[in-house]
Amino acid sequence: WEEKQVRGYPEFVQTGRSAHGRPIFALFCGDKDAEGRSWCPDCVTAEPVVRKELHNMPDESVFIYCLVGDRAYWKDPNNEFRKNLKLTGVPTLLKYGTPQKLVEEECFKAELVRMLFTED
Amino acid sequence: DYDLIVIGGGSGGLACSKEAATLGKKVMVLDYVVPTPLGTSWGLGGTCVNVGCIPKKLMHQAALLGQALQDSRKYGWQYEEQVKHNWEVMVEAIQNYIGSLNWGYRVSLREKSVTYLNSYGEFIEPHKIKATNRKGQVTYHTAETFVLATGERPRYLGIPGDKEYCITSDDLFSLPYCPGKTLVVGASYVALECAGFLAGLGLDVTVMVRSILLRGFDQEMAEKVGAHMETHGVKFIRKFVPVQASASFRLKVTAKSTEGPEIFEEEYNTVLIAVGRDACTRSIGLETIGVKINEKNGKVPVNDEEQTNVPYVYAIGDILDGKLELTPVAIQAGKLLARRLYGGSSTKCDYINVPTTVFTPLEYGSCGLAEERAIEEYGKQNLEVYHSLFWPLEWTVPGRDNNTCYAKIICSKHDNNRVIGFHVLGPNAGEITQGFAAAIKCGLTKELLDETIGIHPTCGEVFTTMDITKSSGQDITQRGC
Repeated sequence: WEEKQVRGYPEFVQTGRSAHGRPIFALFCGDKDAEGRSWCPDCVTAEPVVRKELHNMPDESVFIYCLVGDRAYWKDPNNEFRKNLKLTGVPTLLKYGTPQKLVEEECFKAELVRMLFTED
Repeated sequence: DYDLIVIGGGSGGLACSKEAATLGKKVMVLDYVVPTPLGTSWGLGGTCVNVGCIPKKLMHQAALLGQALQDSRKYGWQYEEQVKHNWEVMVEAIQNYIGSLNWGYRVSLREKSVTYLNSYGEFIEPHKIKATNRKGQVTYHTAETFVLATGERPRYLGIPGDKEYCITSDDLFSLPYCPGKTLVVGASYVALECAGFLAGLGLDVTVMVRSILLRGFDQEMAEKVGAHMETHGVKFIRKFVPVQASASFRLKVTAKSTEGPEIFEEEYNTVLIAVGRDACTRSIGLETIGVKINEKNGKVPVNDEEQTNVPYVYAIGDILDGKLELTPVAIQAGKLLARRLYGGSSTKCDYINVPTTVFTPLEYGSCGLAEERAIEEYGKQNLEVYHSLFWPLEWTVPGRDNNTCYAKIICSKHDNNRVIGFHVLGPNAGEITQGFAAAIKCGLTKELLDETIGIHPTCGEVFTTMDITKSSGQDITQRGC
């Protein structure tokens, strides 16, 4: 499997398209500051849990780590992630193209993350 | 290995297993969908979520929206485009939603530490089952207690061509192509609801009925449901049964009259068989452990605590012999069973006065007894039936059917005119009926109903001002406000 890091909606869509045909998992988090800390405390908690389970993804998978933007952008109810991907919160971990996703505290649970990566 | 193994991950099975897990027990749920002859299958959640209530109500809504669009012009909405319906767009949206429900159940079971196996469970010896997954891999599991919640699947006709060419409700809700000109065989609520929304979406629909409509329901109401469908373009062929389905240019159906030698032949794009459902109890090894089933219908007889003749095996949901086949009943039974087994409770499931609604184009909601049953049980002279036609206000402007919507209550004269039967035919019948079901549970009487002030303007308020009895013979045709 491979990881791609993107920032913002257009980059996400472009990367998603380039990985067409392979299973795509995406983790959406709030932007990080110069010290690498996210404005979203739940994202800080979730990221290491998710990273620990990445080896459970199917071989050909693509893992897209996507920074959505700053807090103000995220709070806007009309931002592209909310409108087009129907995201309701960060962090969100999802399997692209399916209704399978984990939102906020669900991302803290290693078992659920593993289930998302290994489920068919 | 487990405190409880539940066979079947539908409405009943999931409710029971989650409740048991919440009470601290080690629980396993097995759910497996044997694909239809067409190869259709679905995820965790059972009939209601995947091929029943949920997609049915959504497609019914799609059809109602079509009607609303027609009405909208009368309310002043102006648009040039001719409005058409795209089947594939609707199915994709509905299947997406169902997918999110399947996933939601997976997460919910995982969070409650319920072990879930997508495997077919069968008893091989007392307290032990064999679980076979899609790939044929077999595992074995034991438990102190078992709950059967395997539900039902549509029955076929047993005529040449039925499995090869016909579909059932199992296939309809995920059909990748528009069904087109459709023949619905059957007169169950499944048949009428499906025929209803298919016609509402603009398709050419015919319903073939062997004898009566909505067996088991109040027949006066059933006939009104059918009559409304007929005036709205659904063709009915009554007293005929199909004898053969064959492929020619389209799908040819040959049918015979039940009263004579008459033959009927016609071609359709799709034939939907909805003549009943059979319990999934015949190949799960029940004979091996001695669980008795009703040989006639495959259903499981249980006592009032949902226990079978084998003390450690219980059953809930559609497979119960003599009980209502409804999601909320299965859920309630499942939860209460878990609480009695592990929570020290003694509350049993109350199967009396369970409200239901048939989501045909004109919806029919009811709670309590059908008129025929009431007459049988109480005697006609001991009943007073109040009734009224009504015209929903929203239907006036677009000029939709008046003197079609109908309300009826059956009261027991010698019990303070207690309401023992509630029936309503009209829009939002389900929403209306829910409240009255609670009132009936509280012992609603005609007097209390009369003392209740109506909400105006609504359809429900008709029940607070019913004066005319059937026995008076007075005319109930509506004239003004």
